[in-house]
Amino acid sequence: MSVRLPEEVLQKLERVSITARHAVESVLTGLHRSVRRGLSVEFAGHREYLPGDDLRHLDWFVWARSDRYDVRQYEEETKLRATLVVDASGSMGYRSGALSKLDYARALAAAMGFLMVRQADSIGLVTCDTRIRAELPPASTMGHYLNLLEVLEQAQPGGETSLADVLDSLAARLTRRGLVILLTDAFDDVTKLTKSLHLLRHRKQDVRLFQIIDPAEQDFPFHGMIEFVGLEREPRLRLDADRIRERYQAIFAEHQRRLAEGCHAVGVTRDLCRTSEDLAWVLVRAFNEEA
Amino acid sequence: MEFLNVALMGGLAAVASPIIIHLLHRRKVKRLDWGGQRFLLELLARNRRRLLLEEVLLLLVRVLVLGLLALALTRPALKRRNVLRPDVVTRYGRTAAVLLVDDSLSTGSGRTQMAIEEIKRLATAYLNTLAPGDEVSIVLQSQLHGPAADPLFDLEAAKALVAQLRPTAMASDVAALLEAGRAQLSRHINPGGELVLVSDGRRDGWRPEERSRWDEVRQQLRGAPDATQGSRQRPNLLLLSPAAADPEGNLAVTGLRLDRTLVTAKRPVGLRAELTWHGRSAPPQGSVRFLVNGRAIGGKSFTLPAAGKQEVGLTHTFDEPGSYVVQAQLEGTHDSLPLDDQRCLAIQVETAVPVLLVEGRAAGGLQGSLGFLAAALDPEGLGRGPFRLTRISAPQLTEALLQAHRVIVLGDVPALASDMLAALERHVVGGGGVLVGLGAQTDPSLINRFWARAGTGFLPAPLRDLQSPAAAATIGQVNEAHPVFNAFGARAGEVWKDGKIRRYFRLDLGQVPAGELERILSLENGDPLVVERRRGVGLAALITSSLNSQWNELPLLPAYVPAMRGIVGHLGSFVLPPRNLAPGERLTFTAFATNQTVKAEGPTTTVPLSTGVWEGRPALISEPLLEPGPYSLRQGNQVFRYAVSVAPAESELTPLPEAALRSCLGELAAHHFTQAEQVTKALGSSKRSSVELWRWCLGGCLGMLFLETFLTRREGRT
Repeated sequence: MSVRLPEEVLQKLERVSITARHAVESVLTGLHRSVRRGLSVEFAGHREYLPGDDLRHLDWFVWARSDRYDVRQYEEETKLRATLVVDASGSMGYRSGALSKLDYARALAAAMGFLMVRQADSIGLVTCDTRIRAELPPASTMGHYLNLLEVLEQAQPGGETSLADVLDSLAARLTRRGLVILLTDAFDDVTKLTKSLHLLRHRKQDVRLFQIIDPAEQDFPFHGMIEFVGLEREPRLRLDADRIRERYQAIFAEHQRRLAEGCHAVGVTRDLCRTSEDLAWVLVRAFNEEA
Repeated sequence: MEFLNVALMGGLAAVASPIIIHLLHRRKVKRLDWGGQRFLLELLARNRRRLLLEEVLLLLVRVLVLGLLALALTRPALKRRNVLRPDVVTRYGRTAAVLLVDDSLSTGSGRTQMAIEEIKRLATAYLNTLAPGDEVSIVLQSQLHGPAADPLFDLEAAKALVAQLRPTAMASDVAALLEAGRAQLSRHINPGGELVLVSDGRRDGWRPEERSRWDEVRQQLRGAPDATQGSRQRPNLLLLSPAAADPEGNLAVTGLRLDRTLVTAKRPVGLRAELTWHGRSAPPQGSVRFLVNGRAIGGKSFTLPAAGKQEVGLTHTFDEPGSYVVQAQLEGTHDSLPLDDQRCLAIQVETAVPVLLVEGRAAGGLQGSLGFLAAALDPEGLGRGPFRLTRISAPQLTEALLQAHRVIVLGDVPALASDMLAALERHVVGGGGVLVGLGAQTDPSLINRFWARAGTGFLPAPLRDLQSPAAAATIGQVNEAHPVFNAFGARAGEVWKDGKIRRYFRLDLGQVPAGELERILSLENGDPLVVERRRGVGLAALITSSLNSQWNELPLLPAYVPAMRGIVGHLGSFVLPPRNLAPGERLTFTAFATNQTVKAEGPTTTVPLSTGVWEGRPALISEPLLEPGPYSLRQGNQVFRYAVSVAPAESELTPLPEAALRSCLGELAAHHFTQAEQVTKALGSSKRSSVELWRWCLGGCLGMLFLETFLTRREGRT
């Protein structure tokens, strides 16, 4: 079933990235899965009745079966509250191909945002580096979505990566259950990041980490003497790329392994996205996995 | 430590190439904005020291690979001193030997066996002590004027060269040989240095009296003070010469001259040969045969006095002008050195020499500035003698007149126009002769300013003050050997005693380079009276008094006529390029026509000629002439004759006394060997007292190559 997107939205999406538009169209026309179902929150459960609770919330079926007074814990009746956290640190500005990691993250965020708004889910946005740069509280209107696209469009890479601090401050503000979608290269201290993710989980946030990396960052396809200029104001390094390739790849792989293990330990789903990959495929893969 | 191939030491610079490549590699840097810098920082934090160490180690290994290879090529050797045999010559490493062979005339002496044969034996014995890898240069006395030859590594070829040695006509000059040997050593590459002088042990050529020259030679041989004795910088000096023995008697023709400087056709000329006996025994008797152009014209028998010297001669008349060679040849004597039993003299017989007399004060007859000179040169005034005179006053002088005369005489000329002065200088420098006489009109300031020019003009020397001694000065010194006095024979010194000089100019000799001015006559107080000096290829003579009787009484002496004829004849007689040559000089011919072939013949063989330049003119020039005797050069019907005569000193076969040897060599350590067996014993046993290290270097190089491969692969793996 095909869904006709409003032209204004498509134009906005195209400004963020042409790939975002294509991805959304692909998802809607080919798969058309419920974003809510794919990205739904967990079951809330029961809790013991306490004096003062509304008697309408007593679960009589439980009382009938087990003679216990449990109160049915209701999910929020309205919509899913999702917060897109886009890392706009300096390292996200790196590109070896057509798209930088930030470009890719923006496109992915726009596509996911559109899919959620279309299902009447609330979607919020946070762009950050060492601190929160811009923030849009969750809302589900198309007008809000257009604002979200504006903010995404304005996001520029800069500053150092300190995602853990941002997540800590974000966790303090997220009082209601929701979904946090992280779009980052996760070039951060894995231990700190894992702790922050754990805190988010503790605050009853479902967390989905899309780790966006450039293929060159993994393959290190350079040769000869290269002066590496850090995008986050790190010292410049003159190194023989051929001599350090093996060692670099080993350190990078270790970082990825530790991140994967950390995410798994705290119940965070991690998706590895290479900027060379088709955005639509990433979306489809993500939603399929959830399904 | 020594290096046997020092010339390849430059290869050590190759060690810089890995460093240069490394630095160039580091300079060729691409800039990259990079997101994963934190991983690189972490990588460095973990591996910085190891990476640096590996980089330095790899660089060091690569430097060592090249360095050891280059070092192996220089063939380093550890010297090992031969402490057990201090009596032998110490050698270490490969030897660079320069064999200085005296093949001068005296090496042809010996009744039963020539000295050159013993020289060959000693030289061969020395060469036998060398081993493959040693290099040797053979420098011959006869080839000192030629280009230096490259050292030989082929010792058999060197021995073959030695076997072909034969005596030449060259005069011996040991100091020059040693200097050439020292220079030749710099063409060698082996570390050990030996200068080996192989001579006949005769005194000729050593010239111990030339002390300053020997000082220089000793300075050169001493080398650098910090250099090791026996190294190329301070070579061992070996003298190989047969044991001194009483010289065998030798009779030689040590001189051949004419009784006049200018020889003209159809006028008799006296030929005089000087015979000298060197020996302790009684001088032999015999005869001298005189030949002109190879044809005998007569002979004279002689009986030498105990003093050992005698002149014999005869008179001959040349019928036609032209080029001749006169030879004096001993007959009936069998001495130890046949090569000096003959002597040659090349003569140009003229019809008459054109002489231009330029008078400052013109007058006829005996009057005028040059009246007496004109009478001396042409007494009859008919122009039938050897001098064809043109007598003019100074203002009449033209360039055409200058070009038409071979000798110009200036008598009391106060000054010359600038263009005439320039023409006169061109005349002299180009090969003409000029005689200048002074007088009352002489202005020394003008003469010095324009004619002498502080020693650079055509006048032999600048003038100083005019001397008018109260008592007339007399002539004290006569250069009897000068050719202008040929006509006087042994009486040249006596005929001037009545000559009174009332006025004369002193000369400023300080402005003339030493050795350029030759005195012909001097006063008793030492002031020069007649001098000559070569200007370009011409000759200028100056009498510091007048050429007439104005300032002196010379014209009244009987010697005046032959002396003036001698001086003017001398100025007009010399032929250019010279045709009387010493051994080693080249036959030079400038008057060749391009459309005619020119062929030169020596005493025994044809002499090849090649084109060259002599005094700025195109010329045909031969190789150095080593054979004494007559030479001829034919161009069409014309024949030009040359003569090569040996140095008289070579005929004296006196052995070199030990004191004279010490005087020459001073404190220099020299090993003297007189027999081939001594050479073998002293040098053969001290050979190879060093250990060569090139194999170790090559092994080390291979080891480093393995290490480099290992490190590179290991780095790839990590």
